Amino acid sequence: MASREAVRAAVRQVRPILSADKGEARKRVLNLYKAWYRQIPYVVMDYDIPKSVEQCREKLRQEFEKHRHVTDIRVIDMLVVKGQMELKETVEIWKQKGHIMNYFKETEEPKPTDFLSKFLAGHE
Amino acid sequence: MAALVQGVRGALAISSCLLRATLPRATLVGLQQKGIHTNLCGVTPSAALLTSRNESKVAAQRWMASNPGVKPTVVEIKDRVLRVCKEFDKVTRLSLTRQSIRLYSDKAPLSLELIRDRVLLVLKLYDKIQPEKLTLETHFLNDLGLDSLDHVEIIMAMEDEFGFEIPDGDAERLLRPADIVRYVADKEDIYE
Repeated sequence: MASREAVRAAVRQVRPILSADKGEARKRVLNLYKAWYRQIPYVVMDYDIPKSVEQCREKLRQEFEKHRHVTDIRVIDMLVVKGQMELKETVEIWKQKGHIMNYFKETEEPKPTDFLSKFLAGHE
Repeated sequence: MAALVQGVRGALAISSCLLRATLPRATLVGLQQKGIHTNLCGVTPSAALLTSRNESKVAAQRWMASNPGVKPTVVEIKDRVLRVCKEFDKVTRLSLTRQSIRLYSDKAPLSLELIRDRVLLVLKLYDKIQPEKLTLETHFLNDLGLDSLDHVEIIMAMEDEFGFEIPDGDAERLLRPADIVRYVADKEDIYE
C-alpha cells in the first residue's frame, strides 16, 4: 500500500512532445486561443454560418474550458496540436459549413434522469 | 497699370525669395503688402493662424491706409525686420505649431491622459469587468476575478486600440491598467 503511494507520487520523467515545462505549454495554449479569437470574424464571414461572432467566441471559450483541469504537459501539447490542425483546416477553408456547425451540436443526448423524462423517453 | 503691378510684384518676389530663407513669416507678410494691393496677402504660404501674424497684417494694413503712397526707406525696413526678429519667441512658436500640424499618414498625437482614458474606456466596455471596481491599480486576476484567457482578450483589445502588436513576454507582465498605460507610453515615446 505504502509502496503504491510512493510510486504514484514519484514524478515520471518522459520525453516531451513539444513543451519542456508548464510555462512553455501555457504560452502555446494562449497563442492558440489568440489565433482562434482573431480568426473567428473571418470564419463567420467565409462560411456564412448562422451564428454571430459573439456566439462563436463563447463556443471557443467553452471548448477551452472543457480541458481546463488537464495538468499533464504531454496531454496539453497533444490538445494544442489538435487545435492547431483544426485552425489550419478552418483558415484554409478545407472544411465546410457543416464541419464548423458540428462544434455547436452536441452529438450525445444527455440521458433522462427524472421520472417524467424517463417516462416520456420510454423507460430507457 | 497691370504691367506696373506685375513689375513691382516681380521685384518683390525676388527680394522676398532672398529674405524668405532668413526671416519669419510675419515680416514676409509685411514685405508683400508694401506698395501693392492688399489682395496679394492671400499668396503667403499657409501656416497656422497665429495671433502675432494677424496683428502684424492688421498693423501693416492700418499703416498703409493712414500713409498712402509713402514708400518706406531701407533703414525703416531694417528696423522693422530687426524688431520682428527680436520679438520672435521660438519656444511658444514651436509649442503652437506642434499642436496644430496634423500628419494624416501618422497616428493622432498621444498624451498620457489620452492613453489613460482610452485604456479605461476599453476596459469599461469589456462585459466581464464591472466598471465600479475598475481603477488604474486594480489587478486583473486578483481584484477583478478574471482568468488568463480573459487577460489574453484584454491584451488583444489593447493591441487593436493602439494599433501595435504586444509580444507574449511583455503581455504576461501587464496585469494592471497602470502597467498597460506605462507600456503604451514607452512604446509610443510619450514622456510628459
